[in-house]
Amino acid sequence: MTGPRASSLAIYLAAAAAMALLPFLAGTYYLGVGLALLSWIALAQSWVLLSGTTGYISLGHAMFYGLGGYLTVLTWQQWPLWISLPAAGFAAALAALLLGWPVLRVRGPYFVILTYGLAELMKFIVIDIEAKLGKFGRLLMGAPSLETLYWIMLALALVATLATYLVRRSRFGAGLRAIRENEEAAETLGVPVVRFKLLAFAASAFIPGIVGGVMALRSAYFEPFQAFNPVTSFTIVVIAMIGGSDDAPGPIFGALLLVILQELLWVHAPELYLIILGLVLIGFVLFVPDGLHGHLMRKRDTSGNRPRERSGERAA
Amino acid sequence: MADLLSTQLLFAALVTGALYGLTALGLNLVYGTMRLLNVAHGEFVMLGAFAAYWAFTLAAIPPLVALPFIVLLTAAAGLAIYRGLFRGLLRNPRLAERIESNSLLLFFGLSIVLQNVAAAFFTATPRALPYLDSIIRIGDLGMATDRLATLIIAASVTLAIVLFLRFNLLGLAIKALIQNREATLIVGIDVEKVQRMSFALGFGLAGLAGGLVSMLGQITPFMGFPYMITAFVVIILGGLGNLTGGLIAGLLLGVLETYGVALTSTNYRSILIYGVFILILVLRPQGLLGGRRIAR
Amino acid sequence: MTLLALKNVGIRFGGLKALDDVSLSVDSGEIVGIMGANGAGKTTLFSLIAGHQKPGSGHILFDGRNIAGLRPDAINRRGIARTFQIVRPFRSMTVRENVMIGALFGAGADETLAAAEKDAARILHEVGLAGEADLPAGALTLAGQKRLEIARALATRPRLLLLDEVMAGLTPTEVAAARDMIRRLHKDHALTILIIEHVMTALMELGRRIVVLHHGLKIAEGTPDAIAASPRVQEAYLGQPAA
Repeated sequence: MTGPRASSLAIYLAAAAAMALLPFLAGTYYLGVGLALLSWIALAQSWVLLSGTTGYISLGHAMFYGLGGYLTVLTWQQWPLWISLPAAGFAAALAALLLGWPVLRVRGPYFVILTYGLAELMKFIVIDIEAKLGKFGRLLMGAPSLETLYWIMLALALVATLATYLVRRSRFGAGLRAIRENEEAAETLGVPVVRFKLLAFAASAFIPGIVGGVMALRSAYFEPFQAFNPVTSFTIVVIAMIGGSDDAPGPIFGALLLVILQELLWVHAPELYLIILGLVLIGFVLFVPDGLHGHLMRKRDTSGNRPRERSGERAA
Repeated sequence: MADLLSTQLLFAALVTGALYGLTALGLNLVYGTMRLLNVAHGEFVMLGAFAAYWAFTLAAIPPLVALPFIVLLTAAAGLAIYRGLFRGLLRNPRLAERIESNSLLLFFGLSIVLQNVAAAFFTATPRALPYLDSIIRIGDLGMATDRLATLIIAASVTLAIVLFLRFNLLGLAIKALIQNREATLIVGIDVEKVQRMSFALGFGLAGLAGGLVSMLGQITPFMGFPYMITAFVVIILGGLGNLTGGLIAGLLLGVLETYGVALTSTNYRSILIYGVFILILVLRPQGLLGGRRIAR
Repeated sequence: MTLLALKNVGIRFGGLKALDDVSLSVDSGEIVGIMGANGAGKTTLFSLIAGHQKPGSGHILFDGRNIAGLRPDAINRRGIARTFQIVRPFRSMTVRENVMIGALFGAGADETLAAAEKDAARILHEVGLAGEADLPAGALTLAGQKRLEIARALATRPRLLLLDEVMAGLTPTEVAAARDMIRRLHKDHALTILIIEHVMTALMELGRRIVVLHHGLKIAEGTPDAIAASPRVQEAYLGQPAA
C-alpha cells in the first residue's frame, strides 16, 4: 500500500487540469470523445471498487448504467437535474443491495452468473414497461449542453477515481482484499464479509447509475437496447483488465487505451472492433494480468526495493 | 392460452427439459472437473447450430446426419481451447492462483470473439433450417418430428453419458475428479488427460445441443446467450458439479418454463428463469439435489 | 469462571453423526487439549464453536451467552479466534498485511491502518516472524505459515483461542519451539486455549485437562495422566487386546 510519488502525482494533476481545460480548447467532436473517456473512467473505477478488490466479477454492470439512464429519463423535466441524477445513483445502489443480497450471502460462482444475465433481464423488463406505457424509445427535449454534461462527467470521474484511491488505502479496502484472498479465513478474522460485499456492490453501482443518466441526456434519446447494451459491460471489464484493477490509475490507463483503440478502429474497421477487443482481453489475461499500470508498478517494485533476506527459515 | 393439461404442453416441456439437461450436462462436466465457469458455452451451441445450418444449406446434409460430425467439431474446438488457452493458464503459477477469475475472463473474451466472428462471417440475419417439419399424430397429441427427434436424441445421448460415467474407466475417472480432486491425484489417475477429455466432452455436448436446436428455432450469432444463462440456472438448481442433479433440474426447469410461459406469456420467460435462480439461492443454495452444505 | 460451555452439542452430515451429545466446559485461563483419532469430530467441534456451522442440537455458550448460529465474524468479535488445520494465509499479501487484517477486524478492532501496523509489528515479534514481515505470505515455509496463522488469530484480541493441529508437519525441534511459544502467548495474553493435537507429547505437556473424542462421542476427560491410563482411551486408540 504505497502512496503516489511526487512525479506521479504531478502527472495526474496535469492530466486532470488538461481534462478541465478541454471544453475551452476543443471542438464539439473532441469534446465528445473527452466525455466518453471520462465516462469510461468513472464506470471502470466503480467496477474496480467491487470486482478489482473482492474478486467478485460483475459481468453485467450495464444494468446500473441502464437503470440510472431510465430513471433520469422518466423524471426528465419533472425533477431538476441536481435531484434526478443523484437519485439515479441511489436507485442503482438500492437495486444492487436488493439483487446482491441473495447471491452475496453465499460463496460461489453465483454472483457472476447473476450479473451476467441481470442486465439482459432488466432490459426486457424495461422494454415491457415501456411497451405498456406506449413508448418505443424516448426523445428528450431541451437536454443540457455538451459542455454542461462534460463538467458533470468530469466531476463523476474525479469522484470515482478518488473513491478507488481512498478505498484501496482504507480498512474497508483491506477487508475487501482479504475477502478475495480467502473469504473463509477473512470471516474467521472478524471481517464482516456479507456486509462488506453488499456495501462494495452498492458503491460500485452508484456512479454508473449517474453516468447512465448523463449519457442518456447526451444522446437526448433513450432506448432500452442501447441503455442496457452488454457491450458496455464488456468494455468496462476490458478497461479494468488492460489498465489494471488494483489501484486508481489503472482504469485511467485502460480508458485511455480503449478510446484510442475506438478512434482508430471506428474509422477503418468497425466490424472488427469487438473481435479485437475480445482478443485484447484474452491476451491481457494471459500475458499482462496486472494490466498496464499493475505491470509498471511491479517493475518499479522489483527494481527499486529488494525483498529482505529471509532469516533462518528455509524449506528443507 | 394452451390447455394446461394437454399432452401437447407436456411434450413441449419434455423437449425443452431434455435440451436443457443436455446443455447443463456439458457445462457441469467442465465446472465439476475444473471449477471453471464456461460463459462461452452458449457460443458453442451457436456454432453447432450454424454448422448444421451450413451443412444443410450448402451440402444438403441433414442435421441428424451431420450431428456426429458437429460433435467432433466442437469437441475438437474444446480441446484446442484447452491446449491453447487453459494449459498456459494452469502452468503459470501466478495466473493459476486466481484461476476462477482468470478463466472466467478468458471465456468471457472468447464468447465475445466468437459471437462477433460469427456475425462478421454469417451476418446477424436470423436463419432457419426447414427440416423434419412434418407432424406425427398420436391421438390428440401432435408431435413435430423435429422436436420428437430432439427429444429422442437428447434422451439417448444423456443416457449414454450416464452409462459412460458409471461403467467406463474414463467416465469413472471423470466422476472421481468431480468428487475429490486430491484423491484422484493420489490414486494415480492422469488428471490432465481426464480434464482434457471433460473439456472435449463438455464442448461436444454443447455442439450437439446446437445441432438439435438448429432444427427447432432461429439461428443467429447471438442465440447462445439465453442457452448459457438457462444452463447455469439448471446446474445451480441441480447442485454445482452434480451431474445427475443437473439432468433432473434440466427437466424440472423445462417443465417450469413451459408451463410458466403458457400461464403468462413468452415475455416472462427470462423473469421466470431468474426468479427460480434467486429463489433457489435464497432458500437452498446447494441446489435442490446438491448434497454438500454450501458455505454460508 | 466458565468461559465456554457446550451442552449436548450434536450435528449430523447426511447419515453421519459427526458429533453426538458432546458436553464440555472450559474455564477462563485454562488450556484444554482435545484428542481423538481422525474423524472423531475434533475439527467439527471447532467449526461449530467458531460459527462455520450450526449445531443440529444443543447449546454453545460463550461468556454465558448463546453463540450458536452467529456468523463467524460476529463470533470473532465476541472474542473467539481459531486457526485452520490446513493453513489459509492471504498468499498475495505480505506477512505484515496478513496480521493487520486480524488487527483491523476482530474484537476491539483498530480503526486506522497505522494503528494496525503497530499492533501487527508487535505480534510478529512475539511469534518470531518480524524478519519476514514484508515477504508475501505464500513465500513462507509451512512452519512460518503456521506461526502466521497463530499471529493473525492473536491479532483479533481473542479471549479464547482454538488451535487446530498447529504442530502437524513440524520437526521435533519446531514442535518444542511451538509448544514454548504457545505457553508464552497463553501467559502474556491471558488466553484461554483449546488445542487439538495429534502430537501427544506436546498435547500432554500443554493441556492441564484433556478431552478425548471418538466417533463423535466424548469418551474421556481428565488430566493427561488419567487419560493416558484410561482403558477406554487405550481401546479407542489401540483396539482390543488380542484374545
